[in-house]
Amino acid sequence: MPRISLGGWAEDAVGWLQSHLSWLFDAINTVLTGMYDGVNAALGAPGALFTAGILAVVAWWLRGLLAGVLAFAGLALIDSLGLWHQAMATLSLVLVASVITLVLAVPLGIWAARDRRVSGALRPVLDVMQTMPAFVYLIPGVMFFSIGPMPGLIATIVFSMPPGVRMTELGIRQVDGELVEAAKAFGTTPRDTLLRVQLPLALPTIMAGVNQVIMLALSMVVIAGMAGAGGLGEAVYAAVTQVNIGGGVESGLAVVVLAMYLDRMTGALGKRVSPLGRRASAKAAATAARRSPAFLSHRPGTAVAAVGVVVLALVAGGMHLVSDDGGRQSVAAGKNVGRGQSIKLGYFPWDEAVAATYLWQNVLEERGYKPDVKQLDPGPLYTALAQGKMDVQFDSWLPTTHKQYMDRYGDKLSDLGSWYGPTSLELTVPSYVKGVDSLADLKGKSAQFGGKIVGIESSAGMMGKLNDTVLKAYGLDGEYKVVSSSTSTMLAELDRAIKKKEPVVTTLWSPHWAYDKYDLKKLKDPKGAWGQGEQIHSVGKKDFAKDFPRVAQWVKDFKMSDKDLASLESAIQGGGKGKEKDSARRWLDARPGLVDKLAPVGT
Amino acid sequence: MSRLKAEHLYKVFGRRPEAAVQRLEGGASRDELRADGTTAAVIDASFEVEAGQIFVVMGLSGSGKSTLLRMLNGLLEPTAGRVLYDGRDLTALSARELREVRSRNISMVFQHFALFPHRSVLDNAAYGLEVRGVPREERRERAAEALELAGLGGWESSWPDELSGGMQQRVGLARALATDADLLLMDESFSALDPLIRRDMQDQLLDLQKRLKKTIVFITHDLNEAMRLGDRIAVMRDGRIVQNGTAEDILVRPANDYVASFIQDVDRSRVLTAGSIMDRPAGVPDGATTVGTETPVSELFAPFSHSGTPVAVTDERGELAGVVTRDRLLAALAEPGADPGADPSPATGAEVTARA
Repeated sequence: MPRISLGGWAEDAVGWLQSHLSWLFDAINTVLTGMYDGVNAALGAPGALFTAGILAVVAWWLRGLLAGVLAFAGLALIDSLGLWHQAMATLSLVLVASVITLVLAVPLGIWAARDRRVSGALRPVLDVMQTMPAFVYLIPGVMFFSIGPMPGLIATIVFSMPPGVRMTELGIRQVDGELVEAAKAFGTTPRDTLLRVQLPLALPTIMAGVNQVIMLALSMVVIAGMAGAGGLGEAVYAAVTQVNIGGGVESGLAVVVLAMYLDRMTGALGKRVSPLGRRASAKAAATAARRSPAFLSHRPGTAVAAVGVVVLALVAGGMHLVSDDGGRQSVAAGKNVGRGQSIKLGYFPWDEAVAATYLWQNVLEERGYKPDVKQLDPGPLYTALAQGKMDVQFDSWLPTTHKQYMDRYGDKLSDLGSWYGPTSLELTVPSYVKGVDSLADLKGKSAQFGGKIVGIESSAGMMGKLNDTVLKAYGLDGEYKVVSSSTSTMLAELDRAIKKKEPVVTTLWSPHWAYDKYDLKKLKDPKGAWGQGEQIHSVGKKDFAKDFPRVAQWVKDFKMSDKDLASLESAIQGGGKGKEKDSARRWLDARPGLVDKLAPVGT
Repeated sequence: MSRLKAEHLYKVFGRRPEAAVQRLEGGASRDELRADGTTAAVIDASFEVEAGQIFVVMGLSGSGKSTLLRMLNGLLEPTAGRVLYDGRDLTALSARELREVRSRNISMVFQHFALFPHRSVLDNAAYGLEVRGVPREERRERAAEALELAGLGGWESSWPDELSGGMQQRVGLARALATDADLLLMDESFSALDPLIRRDMQDQLLDLQKRLKKTIVFITHDLNEAMRLGDRIAVMRDGRIVQNGTAEDILVRPANDYVASFIQDVDRSRVLTAGSIMDRPAGVPDGATTVGTETPVSELFAPFSHSGTPVAVTDERGELAGVVTRDRLLAALAEPGADPGADPSPATGAEVTARA
């Protein structure tokens, strides 16, 4: 069977699209990002409780007083967890994605309902959209649209489109054929048949589809968070990669609150907009015995609700104006070399990357730059750097771990030198495991460890090295199986094993906070199979030194000692999630003169 | 000129329908076509309907009667043949012209009412006028009048799901009447109703027809209904019209065994008239009861219950047209094929009438 190079073709296609249709992607990008920014600016306006109030009034109007009160309570909870801005970013993403999805899905569904061939042709396409793992198109999404909300938006649209199309088609097909025939028999045009008979009657099913679209969009934002979409997805993702259970639960809960709000509101909206729904609720209200006190289901009139929304919006707007001045941090005279130039710092949620990135964010702000910090997965981040859509990142492990990215994009990146090193890769056991101190000691003890070594992502460079070199060097390759999972899974497994005092052997590297948290033993490598330790480099886009000459020089001179990095990492860990910037700020403030050392300006 | 005329209508579903029509014209049977995967729903149907007439198409399910009805207003395009409405060939019209005809001249009443559940009763009745673009006030007024005619005055602001089946069909009838279309197509319109309600609706339709003089094509599988309503009745079987005539024609002179077996269950006493079963006027005793030629046979039972003497039948001018004896009456009520005593000659009645 000859190898069909399907993957190669796909890569060629992506490359061709990138070089020939970039104007189209740029246009789409501008429009959609504009929509997203607009919605996000409105929802994320200061005065979280006023925005929560507006959303609660909407709930009151659609479902009743009880729903309004619960909505306000849920949203206030999000605010108190410190996740308000992430939640509103997520809500904006979901709303924009849902609107675009519906604008595309409903006409497609109508078309499919009217033409069997279209329906037949759409079905496999929808299947692909629904089942193709999102990561597969998240990366091309980054290539076309750069990092930020766009790839997440695209992925969300692709993923949530199928139920919109299917439910619309189903809804229209479900309309009693005799009714359609009756419409025709009275001389109704096909267009009016659709508008006056089919769509109104299909509306409950279509609204169920809308509900599905929104819920799927929400479930997608976590994945979109890995491509820099921000919002709760990023918070969840960061919490998971750092095995921050509390943070994970909090941000997960915020997702749930949003999900329930959106689900109940679209459900109620479905009843409001469809004539059949209105009819049904009127009937229910007329016949059903009141089970709950009347005031709980009291709903204000549309006018009252509109007035409420407007008043809250005006008050919030007024607050915004009042609080706006004096908010800006002033930059010391003579040190404003950045003059408001914006610079994009990217990182993936590895602890030293978080530490260095937030450190530099503070330093650069003090020098008058406008640093924009974005969390991404390594793949999207290197892609964005190669495209010049991201300016710099600080956590490039070379020559091994990130070799694959440098091989691929090396000529489109600029290496700004190492700031920490050497690092080391190793296999690690808890120190209560006696008699195992070096890699050679593992031989013949596979039964003790269940024959497995807990690894990290199979894509990681060290996993390849472990399988190809290290195990062979010590004759362990037949005896142990390297289980690839994810860093967070590996850490969770380590945590579990340590709590039960079970023997376990995992891949780990230095620097890592796990060495501070647990009592661990690095297995010695007398044969040097892991090779030399690595250096942590800063990597910029190709033109970084041209666009930011001063910053490039500062970053090239940037060095950090083991001790400083450890204290910065622990300061950031201790400060808690979402406050990384402030924690780094406090760490800097405790070291007067450090900013001038890191970023000297000519006297 | 007749109001509605169907000329050699064919409807074939499946691949290459035109070729199938040619084979049917060449004498191929329906079953032969079915073996090839094509279904001939209507085969060579021709008939005429006069203005003000109720034309009933009767047949069992699958006989093609609903397909035939839908070709009359173009909901289905005939594979071959023409439909002439007031001499205008509907099959030659563009889609737009056809919609215009449907909204003005031909309306339809459906088996399961087909009311729009998202519209009030009044808005349902006004639907046809709304499609035609009649201003809101006028169409509401006319729809209310139509509802009044259909016996639903006062229910305008109700919703279809609040009405019983019979009332829903009255809305369906009002919707068809509101457009002032002259031709009403009624597709098994009363079949889904309870027997008692069905009778009411039949009575109401006959009553309305007396006043409005519409031209109606009525589809049914119920022979009693056909006999009650139809000025003329076409019996369909396997896509073909096997007999087309008045109720009496069909009862007295069934075209074949199929029609004969069909009419076994009919209450013949309500359909047959004295004129259709009378014998030559011979030996009428004095004091015999006298009835008209159009008197239903069911009204002859009373005279015979207290005397055995024959009943005299007179025509419109009061002249003696014939007599009905007790034996003749009983023979006529028995089904034709199983009655050796009956005079099988279909010409009897006509002869007698002619001689008189």
